[in-house]
Amino acid sequence: MEDAVLILEKGFWFAAAAIGFAALFNVPRRVLWVVGLLGALGGITKTLLITQHQSVIVASLAGSILIGILSVIAAHGKHAPPLIFSIPAVIPMVPGAYMYRMMLGFINLTATLNSENYAQLLYDTLHNALNAVFILMALALGVSAPMLVTRKESVKNLKLKRN
Amino acid sequence: MSDSIPDVKKVGALLLEIGGLLMSSGASSERIRITTNRIAEAFGYSCDLLITHRALMISVNSNNSNEFFSSLKRTSPHGVNFTVVSGISKMSWKIVEENWSIELIKEEMARLKSISAYPRWLTLVLVGLAGSAFCFLFGGAGLEMAVTFTATVAGLYVRQESHKLKFNPYLNVFFGSVTASMISGLLSKFDWGTNPETAFATSVLFLIPGVPLINSFTDLMDGNIMNGVIRGFNGLMIALAIALGMLVSLMIYQM
Repeated sequence: MEDAVLILEKGFWFAAAAIGFAALFNVPRRVLWVVGLLGALGGITKTLLITQHQSVIVASLAGSILIGILSVIAAHGKHAPPLIFSIPAVIPMVPGAYMYRMMLGFINLTATLNSENYAQLLYDTLHNALNAVFILMALALGVSAPMLVTRKESVKNLKLKRN
Repeated sequence: MSDSIPDVKKVGALLLEIGGLLMSSGASSERIRITTNRIAEAFGYSCDLLITHRALMISVNSNNSNEFFSSLKRTSPHGVNFTVVSGISKMSWKIVEENWSIELIKEEMARLKSISAYPRWLTLVLVGLAGSAFCFLFGGAGLEMAVTFTATVAGLYVRQESHKLKFNPYLNVFFGSVTASMISGLLSKFDWGTNPETAFATSVLFLIPGVPLINSFTDLMDGNIMNGVIRGFNGLMIALAIALGMLVSLMIYQM
C-alpha cells in the first residue's frame, strides 16, 4: 500500500515535469492535461519496472514506448501531431543524474593522473556515460517506435477502431 | 480546386515560408516534407524540397502545365514552438478539405506565429515546478526542491533576457546554466539539506536539448542522415554549454 502511494507520488511529479516542459515548448493549452497524463503513465511504468529489478535502460524504453503509443491515440482524439504530446512527456525520464555524474567524471579524469583511484574513476565514468547515452537512445527509439511499426506517413491514415 | 489555380510563384513562396516556420519551430524533416507536399497538392502542384538546418530549397511543378518555380530561403533561428507545429498540421488538412485561399493561409500563419499559449510568469512557474519535480525524482527533499525551483526560475529568466539581447544561442544556454547552478550550488557549498547534490544536478535540466536530440533520432531513422547528424551536433553543443556553465560554478565555489 505504501509502495502504491509512493509510486503515485512519483507519477504526480513526472506529470509536473512534463507540464513544465510543455509550457516551455508552447504546447497548446487545450492538450496540456494529456501531456501531463502521458508523462505520469510513462514515468510510473518506468518506476514499476525498476522495482521489478529491470535495468533502467529497459525500463526507460518501455515507458517511452507506452508514451509513443498513447501519443498516437491522443493525436487522433485531439487533432494534433503526436510529437507535441510525446516529446514533453518523455523529457522527465532523461537520465539527468547519469549525465551529471558523467560530466563530473570527465572533469575529474582530466584533473588527476596517477592517483590510486584513477581506474575506479574511469570505470564509474564509463558506466555513467554508457547508461546516459543508452537511456537517451531508448527514449528516442521508444517515442518513434509506434510510427515506425505502423508505417504510415500521417496518423490521420491510421485506422483506430472508431473509423 | 474548381476555381482558378493560384500563381505558381505565390504557392512556392508560401510553401517555403510554411516549411521554414516548421523547421524553426521544431518539426522533423519528414514532417516538413509531408506537410508541404500535402498543401502543394491541394493547389494542384507537386513539390520537392531540399531540407537543411538553416535553409530550404523548393521546386514546385504544375501538374497540368509547364509552369515551375524554384527558390531558396534561409530559415530563421530555431526556437521550439509546438503551437505552430500543431496549428500548421491542422491547417494543412483544412486546406485540403475546405479549399483555403492563399490569403486565408497567410492570415492563419500570422495568427499562429503571434500566439503565445502561456504568459511569461506562468511559463516561469511551470518550468520551475518541473525543476522541483526532477529534484524529487532524483531523491531530493523539500529544501532541495525549493532551491531547485528558485534556481530554475532564475536561470530561465536570465536565458530569456539574454535571448532578447540577441546573444549567441549557445551563450544563452551557458548564462542560464551558470545562473541556475550558482544558486543551487549554495546548498552543496554550505552543505545544507540532506542531499544537496540533487539540487545542483537537476537545476540545469530545464536547458536540456530534448527537441533537437529526439528530432535528430527521428531524422536518422527516416534516412535524413545529414539533418539527423546536424541536429545531433546542435544538441551536443547545447549540452556542452550546460556543462560549461556548471563547471564555472564548480570552480567559483571550489567544490
